[in-house]
Amino acid sequence: MSTPVLSLHGVRKSFGPIEIIRGIELDVVPGERHAVIGPNGAGKSTLFHLISGQFMPTAGEILLEGLPIGGMPPHLVNRQGLARSFQITNIFPGLSVFENLRLAVMRRFGLEFVFWRRASRLRAVTHLVEELLAQVRLEKRANALASELSYSEQRSLEIGMTLASDPKVILLDEPMAGMSHEETEYTVGLIREITKGRTLLIVEHDMDVVFSLSDRISVLVYGQIIATGTPAEIRGNLAVREAYLGEEAS
Amino acid sequence: MRIKVILLALAVMALVAAPAFLSAGLVNASIQMLIAALFASAFSLLCGQAGMLSFGHSAYFGIGAFATIHAMNAFNGAGLLPTPLLPLVGGFMGLMSGIAAGWFATKRTGVYFSMITLALAELLHALAPHLKEVFGGEAGVSAMRMPAWGFTFGSNVEVYYLTLFWVLLCLVLLYLYTLTPVGRLTLGLRENTHRLRFLGYNVHKLSVLVFAVSAMFSGVAGALQALNIEAANYVVLDMQLSASVVLNSYIGGVKVFLGPAIGAALMSFFGYAVSDLTRSWLLYQGVLFVLVMMFLPDGLVGEIARRVREGRFGLGWERLSAGLLFAVALALSVVGFVCAVELAQRFFSTDYRSMVVGATWPPVALFGREWLPFSVVTWGLPLGVMAVGLGLLSFASRRLDPERGGAS
Repeated sequence: MSTPVLSLHGVRKSFGPIEIIRGIELDVVPGERHAVIGPNGAGKSTLFHLISGQFMPTAGEILLEGLPIGGMPPHLVNRQGLARSFQITNIFPGLSVFENLRLAVMRRFGLEFVFWRRASRLRAVTHLVEELLAQVRLEKRANALASELSYSEQRSLEIGMTLASDPKVILLDEPMAGMSHEETEYTVGLIREITKGRTLLIVEHDMDVVFSLSDRISVLVYGQIIATGTPAEIRGNLAVREAYLGEEAS
Repeated sequence: MRIKVILLALAVMALVAAPAFLSAGLVNASIQMLIAALFASAFSLLCGQAGMLSFGHSAYFGIGAFATIHAMNAFNGAGLLPTPLLPLVGGFMGLMSGIAAGWFATKRTGVYFSMITLALAELLHALAPHLKEVFGGEAGVSAMRMPAWGFTFGSNVEVYYLTLFWVLLCLVLLYLYTLTPVGRLTLGLRENTHRLRFLGYNVHKLSVLVFAVSAMFSGVAGALQALNIEAANYVVLDMQLSASVVLNSYIGGVKVFLGPAIGAALMSFFGYAVSDLTRSWLLYQGVLFVLVMMFLPDGLVGEIARRVREGRFGLGWERLSAGLLFAVALALSVVGFVCAVELAQRFFSTDYRSMVVGATWPPVALFGREWLPFSVVTWGLPLGVMAVGLGLLSFASRRLDPERGGAS
């Protein structure tokens, strides 16, 4: 196995007296699609918040390509090459789809405090936005307000925004939550396409999606990872079956 | 698009030509309107575009005004700062104070942000009377406009053109700002700061920048005010100015670029025209604000912009007659309401109290008629007119806008 692009060692997180994450060891290797599964309240979202900079870990270290990012503010984590989506759709509702993606793309060109150029004349930005629109298949909706999109379109838009910074590692938090069967299939296809050549860490409840999409799976139960392996290994793991899968997969 | 450009060109031409047709009093009122328009636009960069409601913008307006007055006295119109360039001083001091205050205020969002801006402005307002050297105490500080570049700046027409130049320049700059990358990000601040953070942007720095730019243009507005009245008093730091800029901007519509400017110009003209006629004008201003917020939450200009966008300006006899009815009904309601308020105001005034002798309550003369305090006509007539007006209003608005089901 190659050197991990993202690795967590002894990561712990407490909220007051309650310890949610209880010493996590996790290595994500470059190019893999890695799913994190576990029962409700296992700490999956908290884990994502720790990696992406929303929360500061109580103990342990988080390394992105060998660089410690634990406790770094979100915008700096993003600049290190890690982007994420959210469990609850997190977009700019009052702006057009195009504008949503433009805001997401501009950062990559260092366009933050620039007030001497017109945004509409930034060719490289516009070009990239159009590329992203095509990638997430929203070309026809470019001028619609983000709030007017259907739910699955909004999720696609958010995936597009996550891609905009050209991240090495993408974190998707339940991208299929609340979707119909068709929408789920569509989104799985989309995720397959856009994660080519990138590393994906995904939290998802839909077991069909998890087992068909991921190269490796980690099972999180009560703040600890009890098993990591290929889908086949996880399916055969007795502890996992007892702790979690028994209820949903069999 | 082309219509917009033509309308704007006409408006600018009208503004340039205006002094030729206006009395001295109206030229003065126009200067006030221009200053109010710039101040509201500066405020709305922060409030409308970045979604940060400041309750303390009088501070930056006031700082701009005082900085300018002191610069007028210090340079005496000579050297590097002749009279026409003085607004730069106000803008610079606005910017500096904006960076300092914004750094604290933008650490928080929503209500907490508003409270910090309010507290900072009140702090300055409370401190000002004690700093006589800077704020001049009760009397304030005054200065003289010095001639420069071949202008004497003695007449208020010259001041009008100076103000017009700066206001138009600032409005153009504020508009160009909205087109730049940082201008687009400002909208992102309003829509979703959380997402912005996870896209790699430093949200705090960005907020401070927007705050400072807003304060800078507020400072320019303050400077123009100081140039106009050749004085500054700490009263300018009062909460009232902060509140009126909020009201003006919302009445015009904070989310449309020219909304706040037009709202502020209208309201300051309203103040100029009505404050001489009645003591209740603040009440009317308040009622107007409540009504606009209830029925036109996008503001006056915002509502028009929305209708144009949705293409809902179809004409035809049906709509025209309904529109006419609506206007008549509105006029009736206003007449009734104003009569009732004016009568009440007179009967409850201390002047009237002193006229009452024993059990005799004398009538009050208003609108060329004598009104008795306890007669049915006195109260029945205005309230009746108002009731009829309101009834017609709800009927007309249902005909105008069937799918909205009434005025709401």
